[in-house]
Amino acid sequence: MVDAMKTQRWLRAVVGSLALAAIFFQATAVVVGEGQAVLVTRFGRPLRAATKPGLHWKLPWPIDSALLIDMRRRVYETGQTEMLTRDKKNIIARTFVVWRVGDPLAFTQAIGVQGGAEAKLDGLLTNAAIGTLGGHDLSALVSTNPSDLQVDQIESELLASTAPVAMRNYGVALEQIRLERIALPEENVTAVFDQMRAERRQFAAKYQAEGEQAASKIRSDAELEAARITAKGAEETARIRGESAAQVAKTYADAHRINPELYRFTRSMDSLDKLVTGNTSLILRTDSEPFSLLQSKDQK
Amino acid sequence: MRRQGRPSEIGRLAAPVARLIDWAWQRVHWWVITMAVLYCLSGITVVKSDEVAVILRWGRLVGATPALQEHGPGLLFAFPRPVDQVVRVQVKHVWEVPVTTLAGVVTQEQVPDEDEESVTSSNENTLDPLTQGYALTGDENVVQVYMVARYRVRDAAEWALFGPTAKDVLRVEVTAAMVRSLGEMGVDQVLSDGRKTLIATAARRAQAGLDAAHSGLELSSLELTSLAPPQILASDFDAVQSAFIEAQTEQNDAQASAESSIPQAQAQADAAVQTAQADAASALATAKGDADAFLALNREYVASPLVVRERLYRDAIEKAIDTAGKVRWVPPPVGGNYHGFRISIAPRVGSGSDEKQ
Repeated sequence: MVDAMKTQRWLRAVVGSLALAAIFFQATAVVVGEGQAVLVTRFGRPLRAATKPGLHWKLPWPIDSALLIDMRRRVYETGQTEMLTRDKKNIIARTFVVWRVGDPLAFTQAIGVQGGAEAKLDGLLTNAAIGTLGGHDLSALVSTNPSDLQVDQIESELLASTAPVAMRNYGVALEQIRLERIALPEENVTAVFDQMRAERRQFAAKYQAEGEQAASKIRSDAELEAARITAKGAEETARIRGESAAQVAKTYADAHRINPELYRFTRSMDSLDKLVTGNTSLILRTDSEPFSLLQSKDQK
Repeated sequence: MRRQGRPSEIGRLAAPVARLIDWAWQRVHWWVITMAVLYCLSGITVVKSDEVAVILRWGRLVGATPALQEHGPGLLFAFPRPVDQVVRVQVKHVWEVPVTTLAGVVTQEQVPDEDEESVTSSNENTLDPLTQGYALTGDENVVQVYMVARYRVRDAAEWALFGPTAKDVLRVEVTAAMVRSLGEMGVDQVLSDGRKTLIATAARRAQAGLDAAHSGLELSSLELTSLAPPQILASDFDAVQSAFIEAQTEQNDAQASAESSIPQAQAQADAAVQTAQADAASALATAKGDADAFLALNREYVASPLVVRERLYRDAIEKAIDTAGKVRWVPPPVGGNYHGFRISIAPRVGSGSDEKQ
């Protein structure tokens, strides 16, 4: 009986103190996670900000209360704004910024709800962009010449001119500013299109002319080569024919030289053979061979 | 631990609570014990095969480096809340996000509300920068790009606890990287052999941006589903392409005809030379034959000139008489002259005639 009473008392004490501890912990402990901050306010007045993750303490409600602030990085894109470059060209630019709450106390005081931060950043960034881009030519943004491009410099200038202001005024830390878009006003695009068209036509004409030139060079080179080959062939042919004629003439001459008289006679006979054709009328004297033989026979 | 000093007042106040606890304990003590045990075990987490988990102890990240922070798949023993909080992150999965900020039409959510300007561009020959995406190349030409970015989580803790929203940061970083990379290349380079360089440069810049934004993301690939000048200029760009192809074709045709005409000429020249050689050989053979025949005849002639001469003469005359169309016989002249005798020499009858006395 005494044991049971003791156990019961012990149990009561344990359960009771656990419950009390839980209530006390709930009221006074603040667990600050990674990527978070907690702003402790006393009677509504900001007291301190707990930015380091871990276990922090406060007085129980209603004296102190804890406001959880998201410290993660966020991305904000500004609107597209028309601005003028140093060489008086209208462009439309848009930047984006990676930001986070840098000073929870200042942030809560300046902005309160987080939605308001972006409207303030938009103004700050747009003004900075107008100022910075006004100090550079368009070729600093787009150019095929690498030495003209100054995008890194422009982005660092933008960050340098806005980050201290954002931190001081709004408790916002700007970590990265980039040019997200570089475009042209609608009315300038037409001119760019016309220029692009003209450039394309020029290219097409150039390719055509180059093609024709190359083709005609190939053709004329080939013709020249063919003519050279033909001429060489003709030369060779003529040489062969000449040599042959000389050889033939020598052969005949060697033979005929032995008996020129016989040669003359055979040549006369050959000529006679060649001259007399089917259309020839031959007139012979009756005293020439072979008629003379007949005559002489009759007379004898 | 109990004080003996003033038990009566506290005891009196706590008596109903104590009775309630006693009453409840007697009925539900097994439940309470079970719940207490379950609470103690609630810190044990199952990490799936494509996940890693990080532990926040009293809100603070456990481990100094990503390797120590991240716990791989399997059972993870942690304390129950509020001591430990386990954050699980899918790291092996590759996500895909289309980036249309520089493509033909930008989605409505990305169009800022510009109140005074109505964004109705009826003019076809232009682009409204607010509603239609495009980028400028280094030589101030307009191109439109449709991109698909694939990414995965590289640093689970950074992504889950510090980084900005993955889709937002990817869209802006990839867009900025592409705008900048296009802005330093010429349009012809971009549209032809420079495409790979463009993608590589843009991906490298985007990754640098993602790292600088502490996003904990890795851009595993950047793909250009389309990269082209605006539709309205497509025909002009195509014309250049076809002019280029035509020029190539023309050159190829010329090359082909050149390749056939030179061998043709060579063949003709060779044939002419061969004919000449054959002719020469045959002429020489004929000449030699004739010469031999003449020498043979000569041998006979030397032996008996009159007989040979007579025979040759008669052969020739007989052949001539045989061949000739007409043969006339005339008496020998009287005293060496013909009188009143006319010879007509004419190849054909009826044409003009010569007369000879």
